[in-house]
Amino acid sequence: MNALEVEKLSFSYGKEPVLQQISFGVAPGELCILIGANGCGKSTLLDCALGYLRPDEGTVRVQGVDTTTLSERQLARKIAYVPQASEPSFPYTVEQIVLMGRTASLDGFARPGKADMELAQEALRAVGMSHLADRPYTQVSGGELQLVLLARALVQQTDIIFMDEPTAHLDFRNELLFLERVNALLTGGNTTVVMATHAPNQAFYYESRGVPVTVCAMAHGNIRYRGTPTQVLTRERLEDIYGVEVMRLTHATQYGVTHQIIPVQTVGGKP
Amino acid sequence: MKKRMVVLLILLPVAAAVVSLFVGRYLIPPQDVLFALFPFLGETSAENLTVVRSLRLPRIIAAAFVGAALSASGTAFQGVFHNPLVSSGLLGVSAGAGFGAALSILIFSVTWASYPFAFLFGLAAVALSYWVARIYKTAPAIMLVLGGTVVSAIFNALISLLKYVADTDRQLPAIVYWLMGSLASVRYQDFWALIPVGAGLVILLLFAWDINVLSMGDRQAKALGVNVRAAKTWIIAGATFATAGAVCLSGVVGWVGLVIPHIGRFLVGNDNRRLLPVSMLVGAGFMIVIDTVSRVIVASEVPLGILTALIGAPFFIYLLKRKKGGGWQA
Repeated sequence: MNALEVEKLSFSYGKEPVLQQISFGVAPGELCILIGANGCGKSTLLDCALGYLRPDEGTVRVQGVDTTTLSERQLARKIAYVPQASEPSFPYTVEQIVLMGRTASLDGFARPGKADMELAQEALRAVGMSHLADRPYTQVSGGELQLVLLARALVQQTDIIFMDEPTAHLDFRNELLFLERVNALLTGGNTTVVMATHAPNQAFYYESRGVPVTVCAMAHGNIRYRGTPTQVLTRERLEDIYGVEVMRLTHATQYGVTHQIIPVQTVGGKP
Repeated sequence: MKKRMVVLLILLPVAAAVVSLFVGRYLIPPQDVLFALFPFLGETSAENLTVVRSLRLPRIIAAAFVGAALSASGTAFQGVFHNPLVSSGLLGVSAGAGFGAALSILIFSVTWASYPFAFLFGLAAVALSYWVARIYKTAPAIMLVLGGTVVSAIFNALISLLKYVADTDRQLPAIVYWLMGSLASVRYQDFWALIPVGAGLVILLLFAWDINVLSMGDRQAKALGVNVRAAKTWIIAGATFATAGAVCLSGVVGWVGLVIPHIGRFLVGNDNRRLLPVSMLVGAGFMIVIDTVSRVIVASEVPLGILTALIGAPFFIYLLKRKKGGGWQA
């Protein structure tokens, strides 16, 4: 049984179709990377699967269960979510932010207790951010915040984690740091990750680390190419998806032979 | 949170209430105040008995509840709408209640009628804001804020209209006085309004954790497992009941629902599990002090709304300076 199964999912904003009859599945323990130009429907797809947007038609099944039959709390026990960047809110401490990941595990009007607090501290240690526990989350850097939000997803203790361009605002080192933490998560357990990203090289990074990766290249509300990073992220296909002429370099690293995409120039109109 | 702080925060409204019982324009010796409160200790005159038991005591109780209600509602609204600039009157409850009171002053000459009128129109105004926001299917936070602004504008215009047609000798001063806030006419028979206030406060305390999560925005709150629509509806209902009950006791008292929550944030941080009860305590203490000042400093009472701003604002600036912004980003 697939961890996530999307079947003929369609969504439109008014008359503007965003997703058209999209179908795909993600196996347990797999990393599914969604790429595609701005506006191709990556975020909308995640929002529909999270139940934040109501699809016009189609179903989303999580571990075989139709998500529309689940309450918010039940769904949040199956899927955690790492947003692109958090909208600024009140200056909660980093620890309080992580503790919010325990919400779905609470019953009725219960509040997080001591055990939840310990889980939060443990997750902060796992992402290397425990030194920031008492800092207002509005005062940590973008990279640190993404790792904090990853910790929040970890304490939610779900089998599946969605990430929407989680490294979009990170610097050179923090992007890699984030990838490494997610890599540890994928190789260390049976967590399934669905990640939208604009950096095709991230797919090669995971492939070279031996993670089972599938790339779904989206265009116009549908999946145009699907396969391993080596299969999907080719010169021709990237040009088709993004309208960008690229070079694909193949080179050896200590982790084996891998590829890198280098953008050269834009071609044609917007695909 | 340090134990000492907890004790101090609980003592604040209690101490304010005790002091308030002993002071007033009508001079009563301290031992007579005690005799009036506890008849088994000794005897005092009928006048003293009336002043302490039927004038000062109900005002103090009402002030405490009004302060707690406005502060807790303001805290909850700031959280749910993830906007630190909103207050308890955000969804039009104050404007609606003001209109209800003005209407009843114009129609009836009895003062007690303005309480239920204020309460019902306060509820109606929030219901209207909610309905306006639902024009958008999902009722996002910003639509509710917009709905509240529109509905407040309508009711404020209607209040102006009522002022315009009111008889300038009797009705107009009564309306203006009510809109500036006062607890001078509170009697025990008006205490039914404490029921919605109490119910509203209990609801808000139950949803304290959900308010934290909701303040991260709808998308994240939902992904974290909160039934966003149901939780928001309950919290708005709780805050509305509490505020409507408070407003019909005291009239429109501005500033408290905006600033006391921030004083609470400075004191204990932003976690609503602590912040809500602390806001209630600080709000109750603050309101008792304000109402006491209002009836003590000059012979005719000073409207509460004037004092909350004049006393609250400098204190707020002092706190801002001491806490160096309290974690708010530049």
